Amino acid sequence: MAREQTLADKISSSSLWRSVVRHGYPDTQRNQALIIASNVFLHIHPVKIKRYATKVTYTFCLGGLSFFMFLVLTGTGVLLMFYYIPSADLAYQSMVAIEADVTFGQLMRNMHRWSAQGMVIAVFLHMCRVFYTGSYKPPREFNWVIGILLLVTTFLLSFTGYLLPWDQLALWAITVGTEIGGAAPLLGEYVNLILRGDFEIGQSALIRFYTLHVLFLPLVAAFLMAVHFWRIRKDGGISGPL
Amino acid sequence: MADIAQQAPGGSPARAIDEAKRQKLLELVRGRALARPTDLAEDEVMVWPSLVVVEAVCATVFLLLLLAASVLFHAPLTERANPNQTPNPSKAPWYFLNLQELLLHMNAGVAGVIIPTVALVALAAIPYFDRSPLGVGILGTSAKGRKIAGFTAIFTTVVLVGMIILDEMTDRTQFGIGAILRDQFGAPEFVYNQILPVGIILVTIAVLIVLVQVIFKPTRREMIIALFTGFVVTYLVLTVSGTSFRGPGQNLTVPWQLPMEH
Repeated sequence: MAREQTLADKISSSSLWRSVVRHGYPDTQRNQALIIASNVFLHIHPVKIKRYATKVTYTFCLGGLSFFMFLVLTGTGVLLMFYYIPSADLAYQSMVAIEADVTFGQLMRNMHRWSAQGMVIAVFLHMCRVFYTGSYKPPREFNWVIGILLLVTTFLLSFTGYLLPWDQLALWAITVGTEIGGAAPLLGEYVNLILRGDFEIGQSALIRFYTLHVLFLPLVAAFLMAVHFWRIRKDGGISGPL
Repeated sequence: MADIAQQAPGGSPARAIDEAKRQKLLELVRGRALARPTDLAEDEVMVWPSLVVVEAVCATVFLLLLLAASVLFHAPLTERANPNQTPNPSKAPWYFLNLQELLLHMNAGVAGVIIPTVALVALAAIPYFDRSPLGVGILGTSAKGRKIAGFTAIFTTVVLVGMIILDEMTDRTQFGIGAILRDQFGAPEFVYNQILPVGIILVTIAVLIVLVQVIFKPTRREMIIALFTGFVVTYLVLTVSGTSFRGPGQNLTVPWQLPMEH
């Protein structure tokens, strides 16, 4: 039975709209399949999925939350970069300015800090969930290894970010942290020198940590996440009872 | 394999007919390939909306919680960095405080580099030792698996807390054994500060393995559950100890007497 054309119908059937969105309203299974398959962000998902895989109490959304926090950290991190100055002389001053002078600066910094802590926790808990549900078993062995690399990358991302505020907390946490790394047999001294770029933590350490934090490690994480997510699909979706 | 009967208009799954016959028949009737991309099996749902809605709700709720936390609690910012003024205690970021705690009890290279490296490699190697598909998708594999996890958690917590207190009471000399080796036998640092603590760790793990083996008679998967639980609980106990119970001079103290926030 034909119904009257509403304004929404007219818009969604216009050639402009159809040039952007190639499928109709997702109220039929065909369109629901098309919306997933034709959207670059959604096509990370298959079109259909096992019913148990939608159960929140199975995954507790932990992997998804880790990724979500990575996105929040990227967003707030870019905003902070507009104001933060990676110089030993000016870094602390710019932190104070972000908190005091920049509109929503304190909020952005708080969100960045708390999601950084949250991401470490979420990634660790995600590892526990995957372990206790036996989800690392074949064919997913290598994705578990990628996951361990992502755990290490998350630690390093958090650790390199820790120095940037250039306050007492940052300086001495990184001093202790790099000293732990520097205790490595044989290579310790080199590790420490490479990390700090100097014998103590100063300008060279700050710019190294900054570059690792805002560019290198996020790229590593994004690369590993791409492999991680891709392999979930290729290994038959998230694990479930046989 | 998609169950076409679910899609057949008004059709109830014709269980009585043999499966192969039924599919041939359907093919004949419909005159097309059996499975379309949108055909859903009984245990399948469409990602849009079933999964996308869950993700959207989770993301929204979590973003609101994060916003609330960020409005209520400010990120710490202490005085400007001053290389000439060492805070006491100086602490690494909290997720590394387990290593810093370990560092108090043995050689820095062993605690800070060798043990974490071995732990990470062992973690990554788990799937190559436990390959049986049994128990996938079931939390803790079985009732026994969950019991083993609980037993290991309690065992590890009690043993670790006991060891931390005992080592503290003997001035962090590996329960006094290290001091005896050093003072009475003239043992080098390598022996009392590296071999001895590693030996103590290995013996503790061996005790756990033997206990679990004798009490539960576990499968390989269940034994790995015990070892993994031991690792996670160790990480937690050492982190809590390093974060909340180490005051000036890294001496044991109670959380409310800690000088600096971390």
